[in-house]
Amino acid sequence: MTAATADLELLSITKNFNSFVAVDSVNLKVGRGEFVAIMGPSGCGKTTLLRILAGLETASSGQLYISGKDVSDVPVNLRSTRLVWQNYALFPHLDVGGNIAFGLTLKPYDKAVVAGKVKAMAELVGLSDFMGRKISQLSGGQKQRVALARALVTEPEILLLDEPLSALDAHLRIRMQGELRRIQRQLGMAFIYVTHNQVEAFSMADRVVVMNKGRIEQIDAPEEMYARPKTEFVARFVGTNNLFTGRIQEIGHDRVIVHCAHGQVVVMTDDPPPVGASVFVVVQADKLTPAPIGLAGENRLDATLRGREYAGSHNIYLLDLVDGTEVKMTMPQILPVEINRPVTAWFSPQNAALIRGAA
Amino acid sequence: MRGNPWIFAGRLWLGLAYAFMFLPLVVLVLFSFQKNRFPGFPLQGWTLQWYDKLFSDGTLLNALGNTMIVSPAAATIATAIAFFAAYAFNRFAFRGKTAFLALVTLPILIPPLILGVGFLGLLARIHLSGTLFAVFLTHVVLITAPALAIIQLRLSQMPVSLEEAAWDLGATEWQTVKKVVLPFALPGIFGAWLLAFTFSFDEFIIAWFVSGFQPTLPVAIYSVLVAAIDPSLNAIGTIVFGISCLVLIGLELVLLPLLLGKSENQS
Repeated sequence: MTAATADLELLSITKNFNSFVAVDSVNLKVGRGEFVAIMGPSGCGKTTLLRILAGLETASSGQLYISGKDVSDVPVNLRSTRLVWQNYALFPHLDVGGNIAFGLTLKPYDKAVVAGKVKAMAELVGLSDFMGRKISQLSGGQKQRVALARALVTEPEILLLDEPLSALDAHLRIRMQGELRRIQRQLGMAFIYVTHNQVEAFSMADRVVVMNKGRIEQIDAPEEMYARPKTEFVARFVGTNNLFTGRIQEIGHDRVIVHCAHGQVVVMTDDPPPVGASVFVVVQADKLTPAPIGLAGENRLDATLRGREYAGSHNIYLLDLVDGTEVKMTMPQILPVEINRPVTAWFSPQNAALIRGAA
Repeated sequence: MRGNPWIFAGRLWLGLAYAFMFLPLVVLVLFSFQKNRFPGFPLQGWTLQWYDKLFSDGTLLNALGNTMIVSPAAATIATAIAFFAAYAFNRFAFRGKTAFLALVTLPILIPPLILGVGFLGLLARIHLSGTLFAVFLTHVVLITAPALAIIQLRLSQMPVSLEEAAWDLGATEWQTVKKVVLPFALPGIFGAWLLAFTFSFDEFIIAWFVSGFQPTLPVAIYSVLVAAIDPSLNAIGTIVFGISCLVLIGLELVLLPLLLGKSENQS
């Protein structure tokens, strides 16, 4: 997955706007040809980080290396990165061909060379038939292709994408996801893709970076991130998880017993925190099921059914535990229980994960 | 909807409105070709004598020539100043920005009479009074503000990311202004120039103070009017109207397709 030589390295990059810390000592290595998605809620600093990589913002402190060279002080127009904007930022006075050629026309290239490169790039992104079109005559998807071609034709070392698909409708978005991935593989270029859309990040990226309040919370492959969130924030942000706060009460040979507000929970783990440590128990909503009749013992959740949301392929049930903790359970079937009636949910100790708490 | 009386009423109203606006012009053109020394109906025969008088006398024609030198020059310089000022106001945050903006706008808020007296005093002191160059200078001061307003309006519609995109693709600041900002602002620049030109062309009071022996057209028309009502005024009015029409048609045919149609930058 990660190549031996790093294409991009960030060393404790920090960005302050007056007293506000937008990006807080971020360290990140992106390999050659790697597709990395940076994900987080709005205001988490992901876009600022991307703009620092592009050179549109200057980091307050820290270093930025591209292919081993320190480019921290290289101005935006001399960087080997290109940015693709959410609103495309195409030049309205130029046609499709003129937009794609823009970066090349700034350099003393031969006209024929420029034309050849533009033509090849238009083919790659599927715009060959649109070269003479005005920008205002294009659909959202076509505009995004122009923006992509305009950046790629200048042969950057790294492509930066700032929520490039968020203005497109759902169908087109999925098509463009596949196409972006294809183009990225074909060129073997590192893509850094900022999004707040989980599905997008998880379906495209080799690795996902989750940011919160300017800090990186976790960097992992999508499956790993989903199955084993490492911080409370990631557990709450990624997927649909239930979190129970508690303290380690007892440690067994492959499991621990956690004392939570609503009762005891058993969790399988190889790496138990010490007794008394504060932890979160994470259970994915689809790993909760109604307790089988007659099941005695561990990880039963006595609750009251508060509501049901129908999400097409599955139902989301909202449960209140005895201590008031809100729990989500998703399953395809209809639960034969009326609202405000008691219900008992259950999860297997194997399907729960532990996160060390802050305090 | 066939036979809808409101559509007919609407067209009639539109026709009346246009007639109201253009009737004075029609009358002006008609009188410039009629024999009687005093304008009035019924018309009494056709003649070109007023045009003949205009061309043989030369005062008004000279004045038109003066105006056609001063106004385009002033409009061009004012638009150039206005573009860079608008770009700076739009792009940068700097100390005293509001004060600068107020300062640029001030000349159109001050009554022209006051401004005229002020200019006269100043220009006399630096021995520029009574020259065409003085008219040019004062007009630049006066028409920069409206030009600035129009260009600024256009530039404020430009997303910040447009310039950033150009830098990101490798353009320097100056290349970005030339290849992205200027083309984007072009319709605004164009409108600003037209407005500035019209303001300068029309301007009487200040020109009257500072023009001296090189009058612009409004000043010359005024001095003819004071002396006597002379139908050659109708003739010069018709010529100016004709020039405006030609310019407008020219714009329609040449510039609009360039602005709205396909861009010339095809690779």
